[in-house]
Amino acid sequence: MIKFDRVFKKYPGEMDALQDINLEISSGELVFVTGPSGAGKSTLLKLISAVEKPTNGSIIFDNTNLSELQNKDMPFLRRKFGMIFQDHKLLYDRNCFENVVLPLEINDINPIDSARRVRAALNKVGLLNKEKMNPITLSGGEQQRLAIARAIVSRPSILIADEPTGNLDKSYADEIMNIFYSFQQVGVTVIVSCHELPKSPIKYKQIHLIKGQIINSDSHVPLLS
Amino acid sequence: MMFIIIGITLCLPSAGYLIVENVRQISTKIQHEAEISIFLKEDIIQDQIDFIGMALKSSPEIKKIHFESKSVAWEKLQSKLKLSTLDIGISENPLPHGFFITLNTLSKEKINRLTGDLKVIGGVDNIVVDGSWIKKLRAFIYMIKVSLLSLGTLLVIVLIVIISNTIRLQTLTYQNEILVSKLIGATNSFIHRPFIYTGLIYGLGGGVITVSILKGMVIVFNNVAERYEYILGNSIVLVGLSSSDYLIILVSAMLIGLFSSFFSARQSIKKLENSN
Repeated sequence: MIKFDRVFKKYPGEMDALQDINLEISSGELVFVTGPSGAGKSTLLKLISAVEKPTNGSIIFDNTNLSELQNKDMPFLRRKFGMIFQDHKLLYDRNCFENVVLPLEINDINPIDSARRVRAALNKVGLLNKEKMNPITLSGGEQQRLAIARAIVSRPSILIADEPTGNLDKSYADEIMNIFYSFQQVGVTVIVSCHELPKSPIKYKQIHLIKGQIINSDSHVPLLS
Repeated sequence: MMFIIIGITLCLPSAGYLIVENVRQISTKIQHEAEISIFLKEDIIQDQIDFIGMALKSSPEIKKIHFESKSVAWEKLQSKLKLSTLDIGISENPLPHGFFITLNTLSKEKINRLTGDLKVIGGVDNIVVDGSWIKKLRAFIYMIKVSLLSLGTLLVIVLIVIISNTIRLQTLTYQNEILVSKLIGATNSFIHRPFIYTGLIYGLGGGVITVSILKGMVIVFNNVAERYEYILGNSIVLVGLSSSDYLIILVSAMLIGLFSSFFSARQSIKKLENSN
């Protein structure tokens, strides 16, 4: 489904953020992208989600070469992804409902269907009772769950989360990860970047980066499964 | 606030156009003919008057000839002023005999040639070409129109700058929303749309205010003119612009708002994306 072929990414005036990346991610996989700070995890996720283009090499997503994609086609590709950003990127001039409905407004879904789907997404992440509240009043874990609700409301085939548990304590972090596991179980491809590998109860692939290079890329089957 | 700014700014050239149109309509009602007034000398005799009359009749450029004796002219003047010789302290008639001719040509060369020929006839004291003032008026109207067009263009540029700046500030206010929307798949048209609608509404609101001010001006002017008609001695009526003119003003205002907001939003959002 996603294939990187000799991909390099260099920012002007800086070292290569990614060097000679070759990987494949299949549909429905759970993938953890791990590595220390500055390893290139966020850059890898930006390339996967077409937020940025590679300097060299090609990225194939569902038979589409992202390197050659026209700017006018980018928005339509990005709608296939559910993005969860490291800093949430919630809008504090809107309430929780209005934050989650944004992808549906972009996709021109009618208001009745939108309302139903938004409530379903909020219910999934346990925030249905807070739909009228401003996100600024939520805890860190709740804000992250709200960001997940916004990512899943448009029913994407791929969920991409950039350090979703970075600022959360263990109980919240486990809550978030459980939500991702549940999505993977229904066939959604889930790609999560984190510093350390979480304890996953299900089969996953790990891509470990150090200084922009893949050190290892292995599939793991947890002992308990 | 923006509506008022747009409304008043557009009102300036529109009001000028309204006045010029009224003056132009008056000038088109005046006959498209040149007229010459020939005033005769004080001591002219009847034979000379007859000779001048025959000379005028033989001229191919002359369409109509009207002779007015000094006594008739004096009576007319007194009647118009509602005064008698005693009232104005004049015992003798100061007015001359005169021929008033209407020409069948507007050619400057022919008029000048005819005037030159008439001047050398004995008994002719003074010649006044009456038709030239209407040409001067029309030329003046044209100059005013050109000036209004220049002023209007400058004011439209000012409006474009004001609307563009307002839209730019709005994009900065909503920059988080714009950037997040782009990241989750919003197209440029989705993002530009609310700003374009804003520009259109600014234009519409401003246009409505302009039309209202113009209509109000006409009503107020005519009310005042009607009240002072007896002093002015004439009925002066300001005719409002036609419905199509008002529609053009409305549509123009909306187009100014639309284009200003479109280009400003596009440029501003591009800058936001590049800086992020």
